[in-house]
Amino acid sequence: MTTTDTVHDRIGTARDDLTTGQLLAVFAFVAAATFALLFLQEPLAHDAMHNFRHAAGVICH
Amino acid sequence: MLADYLKRGVVAGAIAGIAYGAYVALVANPLVGYMETRAEGGDHAHAGEHAHEAGEHAHAAGEGAHAVSEATTAAVSIGSGVLWGILLGGAFALAFYFLEPALPGRGRVKAYVLAAAGFLTVSVAPWLVLPPTTPGAELAFDPTLRSAIYAGMMAVGAVVAAASVYGYGRLSPENRPLGVGVAAVPIVALVAVATVAAPTIVETGALSAELVTAFRGLTVLSQAALWALVAACFGWLQTRAGAQPAAERHDDLLMSP
Repeated sequence: MTTTDTVHDRIGTARDDLTTGQLLAVFAFVAAATFALLFLQEPLAHDAMHNFRHAAGVICH
Repeated sequence: MLADYLKRGVVAGAIAGIAYGAYVALVANPLVGYMETRAEGGDHAHAGEHAHEAGEHAHAAGEGAHAVSEATTAAVSIGSGVLWGILLGGAFALAFYFLEPALPGRGRVKAYVLAAAGFLTVSVAPWLVLPPTTPGAELAFDPTLRSAIYAGMMAVGAVVAAASVYGYGRLSPENRPLGVGVAAVPIVALVAVATVAAPTIVETGALSAELVTAFRGLTVLSQAALWALVAACFGWLQTRAGAQPAAERHDDLLMSP
């Protein structure tokens, strides 16, 4: 067990380990995933998930 | 490091997601279908000629018949269950990478603590105001406001979980039972305040109270099981990969180039 490992260290390690390109890729991917989630509000796809939304307790109609 | 964690999280999420997809296929799909039929049968005001076609909500904000067939809904719902697991697993792993040093316990206990915090944030806190909706239920407010409430309660849940972990971390080194007690305070306060203050948003409609309770119980338990499975699989993959804390490995690299 190390006592020096803190949340701050983790952020630092991530910053060291990841290149700018990787970070951009991650951000682009997250943006794309968010876009996909918003896109799924489109009625056809939204409707098809109906049973799942009930089962997961996340609903909107 | 981060990429390794994320990879394990996605794998753990996929395992948990497949289990959850099986639950959707074997339990949720038939159950929701049955409850919709029941809800519509007892709801004479809305039971139109098209009401039985695809288990739909004729009363919901002027929505027409379902745009997709029952078979499509069943299949997409199962797929959504799998993706839901992967999403939770990935988000869990990213959070775990950054928060691991701050989480109480050691080894796999940390994963379960984070999973419990995630469950509280993503599901339990919002459900205190917006309980899992049964088929055929009437909801107050429009979807935009409900989404805002849901997001707001997720933020509240995250703060409560953080306060709980912080309280435990401060007091448990001296007195473990006291730490556990202090950790429970924010959660109990949240539940108490929400129970007293939250307005009734969901009218359950024609379904019997027992069926509604059973459905909600099943929803809560299935989500809790999904989180537990993500944490268990992630912990197992971490152990298998022989993961050691990031700083340690970082130091190793610096010491022995």
